[in-house]
Amino acid sequence: MPAHFLATKALEKLLSLLRKQGELHAPQRGDDGVLRFALLKAGDSPDLDALRTQLPPKKYLLHPRETILTYRAGSGYQEPQGRSSPLILFGVHPCDLAGIDYLDRLFLGDAPDPTYAARRAALTLIGLSCFPDNLCSCHLHPSTLKASCDLYLQRQEEGFVITSGSLQGTELLEKLKEIIEERDLPIPEDTRRFFGRQLPPPSQSELDAAMPDWQELANHCLGCGACSICCPTCACFDVLEFGGLDGSSSERLRCWDNCLFKSHAEVAGGMSFQKNRAERFRYRYRHKYRGFGQLKNIPSCVGCGRCRAACPAGLDLRTLAERLERGNP
Amino acid sequence: MKPLRLAIAGLTACSGCQLSLLNCEQELPQMLERIEFHFFPMACSPAILEGEYDATLVEGCLSMPHELDLLLALRQHSRYLIAVGTCAAWGGVAALRNGENREELRQSVYGSSTATSGSFSPQPLHAMVAVDAFICGCPPEKEELLNLIGDLLRGALPSPISHPVCSDCQMRENLCLLTERSALCLGPLTLGGCGARCPSLEVPCEGCRGPVPEANLSEALELYLQKGYDHAAVLGRLRRFCPEWKS
Ligand code: SF4
Ligand code: SF4
Ligand code: SF4
Ligand code: SF4
Repeated sequence: MPAHFLATKALEKLLSLLRKQGELHAPQRGDDGVLRFALLKAGDSPDLDALRTQLPPKKYLLHPRETILTYRAGSGYQEPQGRSSPLILFGVHPCDLAGIDYLDRLFLGDAPDPTYAARRAALTLIGLSCFPDNLCSCHLHPSTLKASCDLYLQRQEEGFVITSGSLQGTELLEKLKEIIEERDLPIPEDTRRFFGRQLPPPSQSELDAAMPDWQELANHCLGCGACSICCPTCACFDVLEFGGLDGSSSERLRCWDNCLFKSHAEVAGGMSFQKNRAERFRYRYRHKYRGFGQLKNIPSCVGCGRCRAACPAGLDLRTLAERLERGNP
Repeated sequence: MKPLRLAIAGLTACSGCQLSLLNCEQELPQMLERIEFHFFPMACSPAILEGEYDATLVEGCLSMPHELDLLLALRQHSRYLIAVGTCAAWGGVAALRNGENREELRQSVYGSSTATSGSFSPQPLHAMVAVDAFICGCPPEKEELLNLIGDLLRGALPSPISHPVCSDCQMRENLCLLTERSALCLGPLTLGGCGARCPSLEVPCEGCRGPVPEANLSEALELYLQKGYDHAAVLGRLRRFCPEWKS
């Protein structure tokens, strides 16, 4: 079958075309050695071998700390005004694309979040294939979440096979005509195949609270919060309101949160739905491997491996998932 | 709106926390419209303690009998008493040598002078009086102080922080100095809210904001040990800001 082929040496042309569509961000290694999605200036090359950036693309859709409402005497609570300018993310791997699908289902579902919706509408996604390493788990727990994007680049020797996944992608392909060759290529399988599958729903049996594993995990956990900050599908937030010095105005913020923190399930009066970290681990597990709330039955772990890379205590839920989800002791 | 009657007192400390408030030069005029800084010896004279206060902010720890008298008087006449800064909340650097012989320490600094006689091992405020809220930091962040004033103007107290410095640090997508460089970074044990000031400049967290709730000290000590820091070295570091850390 003929495929659209883009030679590596023509990549710069694709990048300059993308820059014309908006601000272009791609994985790059900083001077400190950290891989991050960051502004790709003209002349700079994206890191094509970057397997996992420290933070996933969620940082563009949900900012770590942002104003969601502003109160002024007279006008009451107002949503923030301001448009989102076009942003293009280049080099997004299938797990992160599936992570965005999960966030879309959360924030564009029955009660769309206006801030998220505006940013999402302004976002163009250019996917890039990858090979799982020993921290990844996309291949262990296939997912019904879709790894969709506008253009997808499947790496080949000396180039990429490009496919479009949206109207916008097709328009982009059209503009790339001059630099794209039509080649007859056997297209190898890529890591997108672990996503968007018809799968039996996960078990709905209640996770046994008495299982010693929860306490074991809690004993080792430092409570640093890294595992959910870096997770492409952790979207829990805390809502805080700060009053202005005029005594009447205020700002209401939402800030990334972690279900392992003491305050996460705390309610007025100091009561808590999850009193200790062992209970909170069960909750975290349930969200990652079984799914809950509106997205019940949709496990939220897309297998990016970030939590394992980030955990200072070296915690890894995969072994437990092997046992509980696949019955492998 | 009735102005907020505020008292601000400094006990044993460096005055840095009070100075942090005074450094909010941009915001001071607006504060003065709503706040009566009634008792604030560092900034306003005369400082006479009289009447009732909506809130009292106290910097520093207790180490002298007259400080305890002042604190008790302020507590008695204040609706809210707020510990501002790590010294007030945990003892801070003044409590660094708690556990050593007080009289010997006193003489090594003051010789035969009687100016500090009666001094005792520095204690955080909550050791002696009920404290309604804590703002940590050495010194606290400007934003925290302004938010505190904003809350007090509404008759409210600030909501407590429960995340560690690591959380702030990871949100900034910093290099982790502990896992990647095996540095003695105290981020996992330290109360967040500073935006991970130090690790953001590639300097390990020194723990200046005191302990985070539910700090997992034993596991952290094991991890630091694997990185080559023995328990005594780590506890020594931690206790520079909070003598209450115990293994
Ligand atoms: S749970 Fe871990 S591996 Fe799974 S998506 Fe989140 S960060 Fe990635
Ligand atoms: S990254 Fe590890 S130590 Fe940190 S909160 Fe998550 S499980 Fe606990
Ligand atoms: S550098 Fe320090 S504060 Fe930052 S994540 Fe690592 S241990 Fe935590
Ligand atoms: S990073 Fe640590 S030492 Fe630095 S300001 Fe924050 S709490 Fe203090």
